[in-house]
Amino acid sequence: MAQIELNNLTKTYKSHSALKSVDLTVKDKEFLVLFGPAGAGKTTTLKMIAGLEFPDEGLVKINGEIVNIVPPANRNVSMVFENYALYPHLSVYDNIASPMRSSLYRESEEYIKEAILKVTAKMKIDHLLERLPSQLSNGQRQRVALGRCLVRKPNVFLMDEPLAHLDAKLRHFMRAELKEMQASFDTTTIYVTHDYMEALSLGDRIAIINQGEIVQIGTGEELFYTPCNQFVAGLMGEPEINIIPGEIIRDGANVRVKLARQNQLYELPEDVADFFRGNSIEQVNLGVRGNDVSCSSERTSTKSIKGTVYVLEPIGNRSILTADVEGQKIRIIVSNSYDVDMDSTIYVDMDFSDIIFFDRESEEFLIRHNQESLVKEGANG
Amino acid sequence: MTNERLHHTGKVVRNFLLALWALFALFPIFWMVLITFKSDAEMFTTTFAFHPTLENYQAVLFGTNYFKAFLDNIIVSSGAVLVSVLAGVPAAYALARFEFKKKEDLAFTILSFKFAPEILVILPLFMIYQKLGIYDTYFGLIWVYQLITMPLLVWVVRGYFEDISVEIEQAARLDGYRWWEIFYKMLLPLIKPGLVSSALLAFIFAWNSFTFPLLLTSFNVETVTVASLKYIASDTVHYGQMAVAATVAALPEVILALLIQKHLVRGLSFGAVKG
Repeated sequence: MAQIELNNLTKTYKSHSALKSVDLTVKDKEFLVLFGPAGAGKTTTLKMIAGLEFPDEGLVKINGEIVNIVPPANRNVSMVFENYALYPHLSVYDNIASPMRSSLYRESEEYIKEAILKVTAKMKIDHLLERLPSQLSNGQRQRVALGRCLVRKPNVFLMDEPLAHLDAKLRHFMRAELKEMQASFDTTTIYVTHDYMEALSLGDRIAIINQGEIVQIGTGEELFYTPCNQFVAGLMGEPEINIIPGEIIRDGANVRVKLARQNQLYELPEDVADFFRGNSIEQVNLGVRGNDVSCSSERTSTKSIKGTVYVLEPIGNRSILTADVEGQKIRIIVSNSYDVDMDSTIYVDMDFSDIIFFDRESEEFLIRHNQESLVKEGANG
Repeated sequence: MTNERLHHTGKVVRNFLLALWALFALFPIFWMVLITFKSDAEMFTTTFAFHPTLENYQAVLFGTNYFKAFLDNIIVSSGAVLVSVLAGVPAAYALARFEFKKKEDLAFTILSFKFAPEILVILPLFMIYQKLGIYDTYFGLIWVYQLITMPLLVWVVRGYFEDISVEIEQAARLDGYRWWEIFYKMLLPLIKPGLVSSALLAFIFAWNSFTFPLLLTSFNVETVTVASLKYIASDTVHYGQMAVAATVAALPEVILALLIQKHLVRGLSFGAVKG
């Protein structure tokens, strides 16, 4: 149980800079998800908290205490490594027992046995206790690594993509299991993932990290509804958000938007229009999620945009239709019963009340409809 | 049916070739053991019929100080291997794990000790040893044997260390182990196959060494390889006695080679990290 603080953390490997002045506070008992693309600096951040890597600059604090020179063993942190890092010569039982047999965190053998049986039953690996890591599948190894992490009572759990190598079904099960355990463990957890579903379902808060910098920290809702820039918007949600260039047309008090290569002018919700009355921004990008776009083979209104069907991908309970509108690909979520021929004409309608506006130049967030009410929950977080 | 027959024929041919090879490889050893039981008079008979005798054994084992040489050989060879293990394992670890300037050059230099023929360096070494006063001492021989034993050990063990993912050590540190505990509990079991087999091979190389003990020792320290020469007398060569000396000298090697076989199992570290 501890609060973790990172102040101005900087790390450079040779010429490549891994972390650039990262500031992050993880509150006691919080479940924070570090989310970002490969090579963003997620693992480096975890290893610095663990003390396995040393920052070039900056401070790591656990419970307000600066631990920069405290050796990893004395920090009492528990970590799941992305490549499992199981001890190959020890059985599953001994692997999981290892942290409880060290001179620093020794427990009695009865306690160890009980703890191992409990955690392995949860992970569904209790039938594998006598095996060596080489006799396990990747998914089983990953669960052993997770078990070795969870048997401890550390200051903080550090988990580096602990579910990445499980099959979809098991991953779903483990995700729920982790969430349940987190509630009962009451231990600060920092969880690295590049799966946005995991990030959204597990995290109390999510920190988006890219190229060694924290881009945005917030609750899942905050990040989903009010991403601070197009990069974050692109990370959250499947299919990826559509970014459509547009232009704000001001005609007296009347503020409307025109899409690139289209002639139609679209009305804006009042709060959004208000925002644009107060400045002179013209070039914008519209972020439209696939479920805020509808399509049909007939023109439904004069505002419909004409395009052609590029591809239709059924993904079980729904399908993703990609429409080609004047060279711009627009991804639309449609019902899985939807059937359409490739290259046939299609009319696309957008729901303007859920569009996120970005500045074309800086790609930063500008405004969205109902912003206040949507961010309310996250604002104090 | 044809397939089965083909398979069968292949088996026969393979076994025949293996048998041929075994005969070729083992015959000199067989012949050596054979002549230990021959008297000097019958030495050059090529038929297998002779009058077996234990004279040669008696002459070598009880008539000369062969046991002293045997013991000396054990002392210098195991001493050399011990020093190599104590210094070579940390060196191998450093070469595998740490980044420092000229790392590869250093590793290559260590290996290059094995390149030059011993006879090439023996003369300057002889003079240096005379000056340092370590000529004809156990210490001197153990020191020079490092040229034979160290490179092999460092290179084999380094490979084993490189196969161990650094995360395993990091996990052990987070589990609360000290560095020496990590070494004994986590690393040593993983490098054991490499360490044992390379140490045993190094022992055999040191045991067989001839040039170094011939020129860097005289009466104080004597190894079996050099002692075997004593059976060349001024008038005749006692092949039978030489064969006894060689046969007894080969015994530890045969035993060790059998031990190595058991330990030459690589792949213990497979499955440690995701493949």
